[in-house]
Amino acid sequence: MKIIDAHTHLPGWSFGSRPRPIRELRRAFEDEGLAGAWLFTTDGLLGEPARNNDILAEAVAEHRDFFAPFCTVNPLDGTDAAIRELDRCKSKLGMRGLKLHPWVQAFSMMHPAVEPVLAHAGNLGFPVIFHDGTPPYTSSLQIAALAEKAPQTTIILGHAGLDDLYEDAILACRRHPNIYLCLCSTSGGYSEQIIRHCPVERLLFGSDGGFMPNLIKLAIAKLHETDAPASVLRKIFYDNPQRLLPLPA
Amino acid sequence: MIIDSAVCLAGMADSAPTKAWLDQMARHAITHAVVAPADGYAAVYNEEGNALLARLVRRYPKQLSGLAVANPWLGTKAVGLLEKAFDDGLMGLFLCPPRQGFRLTESIVDPLLEVCCRRHKPVYAHTGTPICSEPFQLAELARRFPEVTFIMGHAAYPDFWYDVAGALQQAPNLLVETSCQVAAIIQQALDAVGPERVLFGSGWPRSKPGVEILKIRSMGLADDIFEKVMHTNAANCWGLKP
Ligand SMILES: [Zn+2]
Repeated sequence: MKIIDAHTHLPGWSFGSRPRPIRELRRAFEDEGLAGAWLFTTDGLLGEPARNNDILAEAVAEHRDFFAPFCTVNPLDGTDAAIRELDRCKSKLGMRGLKLHPWVQAFSMMHPAVEPVLAHAGNLGFPVIFHDGTPPYTSSLQIAALAEKAPQTTIILGHAGLDDLYEDAILACRRHPNIYLCLCSTSGGYSEQIIRHCPVERLLFGSDGGFMPNLIKLAIAKLHETDAPASVLRKIFYDNPQRLLPLPA
Repeated sequence: MIIDSAVCLAGMADSAPTKAWLDQMARHAITHAVVAPADGYAAVYNEEGNALLARLVRRYPKQLSGLAVANPWLGTKAVGLLEKAFDDGLMGLFLCPPRQGFRLTESIVDPLLEVCCRRHKPVYAHTGTPICSEPFQLAELARRFPEVTFIMGHAAYPDFWYDVAGALQQAPNLLVETSCQVAAIIQQALDAVGPERVLFGSGWPRSKPGVEILKIRSMGLADDIFEKVMHTNAANCWGLKP
């Protein structure tokens, strides 16, 4: 079964990791079973988003058949600056989506810049993937509240509630047609519940690959251990991410 | 030989959940499992949960041991429930602060821990849910009751991974159970406090045994350490005879 991973990170200097050559990262991802990956910055979530967007774009320049690069911006820099950076990431860097991590980036979803940033990302055709599941800034329903205000934008809860809030993530997904759930770091039993109770067209596979070895392999094994039939897994592993952001893979 | 220290069962009046778990044990060669009453049993129907689980343990003594539940808000009634559950063969206490509505550090739990201390019973606590079941809160409790063995359930997954090693270092009577948490944090715990204080758990039904066993296998542990994590440490902690 072909697999596209909708939640991976370019290793950098943060969270105890080291930068790795992209060729090596791609080979490791392929060895663990991937046909493609949505790739986010790690360092850029902690500061200097523009510089780290440049680093990510340059890293994947010759690997766009495999990686869909996502930029980041920080709404705390102000609406205008964040929107300018989004435009630059689309037109100059060829980014394909936006990653936001309100917990690590230290902004509330209720910050006034968030709504225009999400709307603008939608205008650019960027899906927006959030870290979710961690209070006080990234509860699943906090993100859903903004998804409701930007109905034209595809919003992805990057951890489907991250265990503690998986039932809230289900509620968010069922209420808002623009919300997708990424089954990244959600434990297997809870993933099974999510698959059972959400529209399967809006579920994505993810692993946080790039952070630590074996994450991708274990995340794949986790979904195969659920009771979901192969036809459903095929949508989660491949059809859904491929519909949102086609890769040549 | 695999001992699983993290299994929860709901709906024990019905045979299906128990059968589903026994099937998992057989499929994944889990030789013994330490089971706790889940959800409503943990929160409200303590007596019923303990009685049903004690009956299961009597029926499947080779496969299952059981932990008792007693909501600390029941006060002296909780103490009586716990004593009775131990008399009935359950062999430790399961604390689930988010379901039972208390913080691990609240003094209402002390009378239950005094029973565990007197009767030499370990205490498994769900951890990882703020603001009531955090690693340093459990370490605080472990320091308050240094003669009681405490187990940090789910290694504080998801968001308290930063705290696991630091909390273990605060109290030598605190152990950690591996389910749900990523391998790198389990490795940090091993590096911080050595191989005797880490116990394998599947986290069933929140997580599943296949992926949890694969996770520990993929860590590339030395054979003797792998054996401790998967079996020996749990056998010692729970007093299980071979
Ligand atoms: Zn991530």
